Amino acid sequence: MLRVENLYKSFNNVKAVEGVSFEVSRGKVFGLLGPNGAGKSTTISVISTLLEPDSGDVFLEGKSILSNPGIIRKNLGVVPQDIALYPTLSGYENLSFWGSVYGLRGAELKKRIAEVSDVIGLNGRLKDRVDKYSGGMKRRINIGAALLHKPEILIMDEPTVGIDPQSRNHILDTALELNRQGMTIIYTSHYMEEVEYLCNEICIMDEGKIIASGNKQELIDLVKEKTQINIKLNTMNDSVLSALKEIKGVYEARLNEDMIVLFVSGSTALTAEIIAKITENGWLIESIDVKKPNLEAVFLHLTGKALRD
Amino acid sequence: MKIANIILKDLKIILSDKKALAIMILMPVILTTILSFALKGSFADSDNAVIERVNIAVVKKYDEKQDQANFEAALNSSFLSSGMDERDINDLLESSDEITDEIFFDDFLDSEKVSEFISYRIEEQDQALKLLKSDEISAVVILPEKFIYDMKINFLTPLRNKINIEVLTHTDKSISGQIVKSLMDAYANAMSTVIIGKNVVIETAMANGAGSDSLSGMYELMEGMSSTMKSIEVNMDDVVLDGRKPVSSADYYAAGMMTMFILFAAGHGGRMLLEEKDNQTYQRMVVAGADKFEILAGKAITIFIIAIIQTVIMIVYSHFALKVQWGDRIAVAMISISAAAAVAGLGSFVGALTYRAGNYKMANIFESAIVQGMALLGGSFFPLDVMPEFMQRLGFLSLNGVALKAYLKVISGGNAKEILGYVSALTVMGAVFAILAVMILTGRRNGYAEHNKTKSIKA
Repeated sequence: MLRVENLYKSFNNVKAVEGVSFEVSRGKVFGLLGPNGAGKSTTISVISTLLEPDSGDVFLEGKSILSNPGIIRKNLGVVPQDIALYPTLSGYENLSFWGSVYGLRGAELKKRIAEVSDVIGLNGRLKDRVDKYSGGMKRRINIGAALLHKPEILIMDEPTVGIDPQSRNHILDTALELNRQGMTIIYTSHYMEEVEYLCNEICIMDEGKIIASGNKQELIDLVKEKTQINIKLNTMNDSVLSALKEIKGVYEARLNEDMIVLFVSGSTALTAEIIAKITENGWLIESIDVKKPNLEAVFLHLTGKALRD
Repeated sequence: MKIANIILKDLKIILSDKKALAIMILMPVILTTILSFALKGSFADSDNAVIERVNIAVVKKYDEKQDQANFEAALNSSFLSSGMDERDINDLLESSDEITDEIFFDDFLDSEKVSEFISYRIEEQDQALKLLKSDEISAVVILPEKFIYDMKINFLTPLRNKINIEVLTHTDKSISGQIVKSLMDAYANAMSTVIIGKNVVIETAMANGAGSDSLSGMYELMEGMSSTMKSIEVNMDDVVLDGRKPVSSADYYAAGMMTMFILFAAGHGGRMLLEEKDNQTYQRMVVAGADKFEILAGKAITIFIIAIIQTVIMIVYSHFALKVQWGDRIAVAMISISAAAAVAGLGSFVGALTYRAGNYKMANIFESAIVQGMALLGGSFFPLDVMPEFMQRLGFLSLNGVALKAYLKVISGGNAKEILGYVSALTVMGAVFAILAVMILTGRRNGYAEHNKTKSIKA
C-alpha cells in the first residue's frame, strides 16, 4: 500500500535519515521503533508531505506522493507528537474545525464528531476548553482530530509520550480497535512494549537508518539465542564476571551498575548451572531475573546500546 | 471554504483571549475617554457645530490722531499730491476720515460670523501678555504702530505699506490660536484684495488721463470695503482649520486612538502564523490539504475583521459617549475599510517575517517600537499641527497617520471625494505589504533543501 524508497534528509549537514526504505501493507499496524533522534519523526514528516526529502520517494499504491501530495493527504490522518490543537477552544470546536478543514459539513460533521468522541472516550467533556483537559485527554482528542475524515492510513507519532498508564492503555486499545475496523496504522515509538503489543510489522531505526525489520517474531529470532539473565550478588567484581563467563552457553557477561547482565543460549538448564556456580564460590544471590528475548534485546544486540539511551 | 473555517477559528481564538481583547478594544476606549477630557483645552470644542468662542486681546500700538495727522502731512507732500488740485486733495482727506480702526473692529471682529468664533477685549500689551500667560485668553493680536496711517496710505494712494499684524498664541491652546491666526490671515488677504483693486483703478485712470476721476472709483472701493469685510465672515468656515468644523479633543482622540490600536490587530495577527507553526497546527493544516497561502489569507482576513470590529466599536462608543460626529458615513466607511485592509496587509507582512525568523522578535519589535513610532509620527498622541513641518510630512509614512488625517478631514466636514487620495494610499499600502508577505513566505531558507533531487512538494 505504502512504499518508502531510499529516503535521505539532512538538516544543516546533520543526516537525519539515510537511505530509509520500507513497505507498509494495507490493514496492518506498522511500527517504527527507535530511540529519540533515530529519524522516525523525519520519516513520518516526509510521508505526511510536510518535509521534502533530499532524495528518495514515497509511493501510495504505486503513485509518488512527492509529485502529487494530494493523493495521500485526503487518505491520511496524522497524530503529531505534540498536541496540535487550539488550547483556548473547546474540544468540540477543535474537532469541528479539523473536520471542516477536511471538508466535512453540517450534519455529517456533527455525526463524525459524535462517533469520534465515542472512539476516544471524551463524550461529555467536549464543551470544555482543551487547556482544561488532562495530558491524557489532550492526547486522545489529538488522535480524534485525525480520525474525523475516516482516513485509510493513520500515522501516530509517539502518541503516548508523557501520559498516565490508564490513558496510555486507552490509546493503545483505540489504535487496535481502529486497526480492527480496517485502518492501516503507522505507529512510531521509543517504547518497545507498545510496538510489541500493537504492531504486525516493525522497523527498528537508529541514527537515521533502518537496522532491522520484520514482524515481531522475526526480529526476536535475531536474538533467540540470547536470553538475558540479570543477577544481583553480594559480591560484584571482575572475578565474578570471569567465573560466570567460563560457563558454557554464556555468550556475554557485563557489569551494569549494580547488576550483572548475562546473555545466554537457552535459559532453563543454564540458569541452574549459573546458580550452582555462584553457590559453589560462596557468593550470595540477592536477586535473579530471567528475561526472554524481546525487541529491547534486539536493539541492544544490534546497536550495543539500550533503546532509551 | 477552508479560508472561511480558518477565519472563523482565528476569530474564536482571538475573542477567547481576554488580554488581546483588553488591548485591542478596551484600551482605545479608555484612552480616548481620558485624553479627550484631559486635553479638551487644547482643542476647539465642537458640539453639534456650536463652537466655543475664542477669547483674545487686541493691543493697539498706534495713535489714531497722530496717524491722521501724518497722513495729512504726507498727502500735502509734493510727491503724493502731484497731479492733484486742491479739490482732489480735500476729497481724499475727507475720504481718509472714513478709514479708521472701525474697519478692523466693527466691520471685521464684531461682524456676526466672526463674533461667533472670537470674543475680544482691548488691552495694553503688558496686560494682554499677562492674560495670555494666565490662560485667560488664547491669543493676543497686536495692531502695529502706524496701523491707521498705513491703511490710509494703502487705500487712498498708489503706495502700499506693509502692515504686520502680530498674533501671539498660548502654547496649550494651539488650535484656538490657529483659528485666530487664520482669521488674521483672512483679514490681511481681504485687505490685499481691496488694495489691489484700488491700484488697478488708479493705474487705469492715470493711463487714460482721467486724473481725479480715479478718486470716484476709489470711493466706490471704499464703499465696498465693508462688504469685503463681510465676505471674510461668510468665508469663516474656509478660514478656520482649513475651512472645516473645528475638531474637538474627543473627535481627535477617538480617531487617533482608533487608528493606533488597529495596528495592534496587525501585531497580534503577526504572531498567529508562527504560533500555529509552534503548536504544530500549521503543519496539521498543511497535511489536511490547506495551502499555506490559504492559511496566510485566512490570517489577513481575520486581522481585517478584527480591525473593522475595533473601528465599529470605537465609532459607536465615541458617538454615543463622547458625542463625536464622524461625518459623511460613506467616507467613514471607505476610510475604515481601506485602513483595515492596510492593517491586514501589514499584519501579514509582520506575520511572514516572524514566521520566517522562527521567533517572536519581529512581532515584539513591531508591537513595542514600530506601533509606538507610527502612533507618534501619525499624530495619534499629539496633533501633528503643533509639530514641525517635517514631522507633519513624516506622518504620511505611517499607516495610522494617513487614516487619521482622512478621518479628521471627514469629521471636519469633508466628503468621500476629498478623502479618495488617503483611501488610495491606504489600499496601496495594504497591497504592497501583502505582496511582500507572499514573497517572504515563498522564499526558501538557506540549507532547507539544498540537496533536493526530487520534485518540490506543493505544501
